[in-house]
Amino acid sequence: MDYSRPELADRLAAEYAAGTLRGGARRRFESLLGAHPALRSAVRAWQHRLMPLTGVLVPEPPPPAVWQRIQSRIGGDVAKAAGWWARLSVWRGLTAAATVATLALGVLLALPEAARPPVVVVLAAADGSASPSSFVAGISADGRALVTRPVTPVALQADRALELWSLPAKGAPKSLGLISADAATVLRKGKVPDDTAALAVSLEPTGGSPTGAPTGPVLFVGKL
Amino acid sequence: MATAPQDWSDRSRELSALLARAAIGDREAFARLYDRTSPHLFAVVLRINRDRAQAEDVLQEVYVNVWRAAQSFDAAQSQPLTWLTSIARNRAIDSLRRKHAEPSVRPAAPTDDEEHDVYDDLADTAPGPLALLGQASDARALSHCMEALSGPQRQSVALAFYDGLTHAEVAAQMRQPLGTVKSWVRRALQVLKSCLETAVVRDVSAEKS
Repeated sequence: MDYSRPELADRLAAEYAAGTLRGGARRRFESLLGAHPALRSAVRAWQHRLMPLTGVLVPEPPPPAVWQRIQSRIGGDVAKAAGWWARLSVWRGLTAAATVATLALGVLLALPEAARPPVVVVLAAADGSASPSSFVAGISADGRALVTRPVTPVALQADRALELWSLPAKGAPKSLGLISADAATVLRKGKVPDDTAALAVSLEPTGGSPTGAPTGPVLFVGKL
Repeated sequence: MATAPQDWSDRSRELSALLARAAIGDREAFARLYDRTSPHLFAVVLRINRDRAQAEDVLQEVYVNVWRAAQSFDAAQSQPLTWLTSIARNRAIDSLRRKHAEPSVRPAAPTDDEEHDVYDDLADTAPGPLALLGQASDARALSHCMEALSGPQRQSVALAFYDGLTHAEVAAQMRQPLGTVKSWVRRALQVLKSCLETAVVRDVSAEKS
């Protein structure tokens, strides 16, 4: 089936949201969602239309045991407890990529001191998926220059921008500025905070986060 | 107390903030999110999968999933309650798939679990899907648009949406051919869509004038 046909995509999205798309067809549709933004937005539109229908169901508090089981499940998730940027699995195994990134960034960074190489950070998909896109960032040893470069260009809607954040081990993320989705960006505005534990890229409206904190989903994250 | 339809949007800001904090590992925010939303999601799941023990398992999976996926929530694209409800409905529908492989006979005698007793009573007195759709019609635009549906269209959508029935199950319940029911549901969804779109346009032009 040609899922790019708008009427078909819309009809399937409607039946998916209404619940009548079932069995193998439902699973096949779900497996296509990841790769088809048009299907995803059709599904979102239908969910937006239909979900308020559930507003009339009489709320039914679940027994306390359910929350206890949830807590014990997520309590075992130690990495999450330390903050999602601390999840080692995100950047584990990326050493090879980092080596390549070092070579790539070598030409971009003027090293202030030859003895102190720049810090290179690989920012991988924040949802832990095996998404092929990622960012590399290099911070000069004195922390005054920072370069980012997408490994593969990131497709963005026209009214969206990518914003780079410094994440301290404790406290709120600090914006380092907007970065290009398809080319290298050199940021020289000031010093990268000394307590930066990780870098993250979030999806924001054009012009950057209106609130000074990330508002969109975090797309990429990498630990220093 | 049911969630009044107009609260749906009003609660967005608070729930979005809680989700954003849960996304960066804030357990307190996640606990508050659970307190605020789990009675609604449990009702949604129970309506589809009436086996209480299974519904509890589904709810547990939903929140573990929400905790892990909270960073993928985009407040610019979805309302938080819509996002959460969709996740709960998907899980509940998936749980039916597994359930159908097992015998669907309810135990004749109450088990020693009190909650089963309570629920068995509740199931018998719960409003039917068509009654629910009528209540949902209190929401302004939906109310108007529900009236545009024929009786059979409305009933088939209600059975499918609220109770998670398949086309074939709706057909059996309504004693109608499968093909007829399929086209009722399809047509009803299309009528709702175009009607809701017109309603939005009307709202905007009303604000302009």
